[in-house]
Amino acid sequence: MNIGNYTPYIIGFAGLFMIIAAIAVTRLKDLVYSSIALSFVGILNAAIIGLLGFPVIAAFVITVYVGAAVMFIILSVSMIGTTETETREEFRGSFVATLFGLGLAASAVAVDLVKTYQKPGPHSLSTVSSILLSRYLVVLGVLFVALAATLVEAISIARRGERQ
Amino acid sequence: MNLNLMTSETAYGIAFIVAAIGTYGIATSRNLVRTLLSIEVLFNGIFLAIVTFLSQIAVLDTLAGIVIVSVVSGEVIVIVAVIVSFYRAAKTLDSSSMEEEGV
Repeated sequence: MNIGNYTPYIIGFAGLFMIIAAIAVTRLKDLVYSSIALSFVGILNAAIIGLLGFPVIAAFVITVYVGAAVMFIILSVSMIGTTETETREEFRGSFVATLFGLGLAASAVAVDLVKTYQKPGPHSLSTVSSILLSRYLVVLGVLFVALAATLVEAISIARRGERQ
Repeated sequence: MNLNLMTSETAYGIAFIVAAIGTYGIATSRNLVRTLLSIEVLFNGIFLAIVTFLSQIAVLDTLAGIVIVSVVSGEVIVIVAVIVSFYRAAKTLDSSSMEEEGV
């Protein structure tokens, strides 16, 4: 049995659960549960990206995005612990979302003209890491410095409120 | 039907629906945390569409995906810090109170 023949169906199932999790993010009343639903969106997104042929990006989404960023959101939201009621503007939201979805679909049809089916870039972890440590070493260094500066910025902003 | 074409069309469909749900969340809610979560849903949809599209035209480098995810993760941390700081000052997460205070 070749599992490759079932890839579109597996992606479809994962996508269905991803859509349900995305709806849960916007509809659940408790923000902590919404944040947890966001982590499911990230995990299912990584699964789809992996099935599309990019296992390294999928692993990175799981470890950095879901494992660090979304977990940070969950912890922060659970520490804030607000129970205030939300005001929603349902009509405006539906209108904007419909327009946005139609715009994206139209752009996809336009972009469909550019298809040239070739093989994507390097996939194996050893290839990616050797390229990172040779050709993109300076870029990687700048990225690390930028992320460290971001972290300091975040701590500084959070502590400013504490001092005031 | 070509399997690659079917796979990419399914992925595009999912990406656009998820992005539209994220936009709905942004436009609907006035809660800052909910808006951040909806922005992240939108990011997930758009990122999936980008990966699907670029994988077809052989432009996507794995490194590009890694850089995008790193930058977005850093951005999330700063926005959460700003929201926590705002909550400490205003004691609310409602964005309309920002307009009232002229932020």
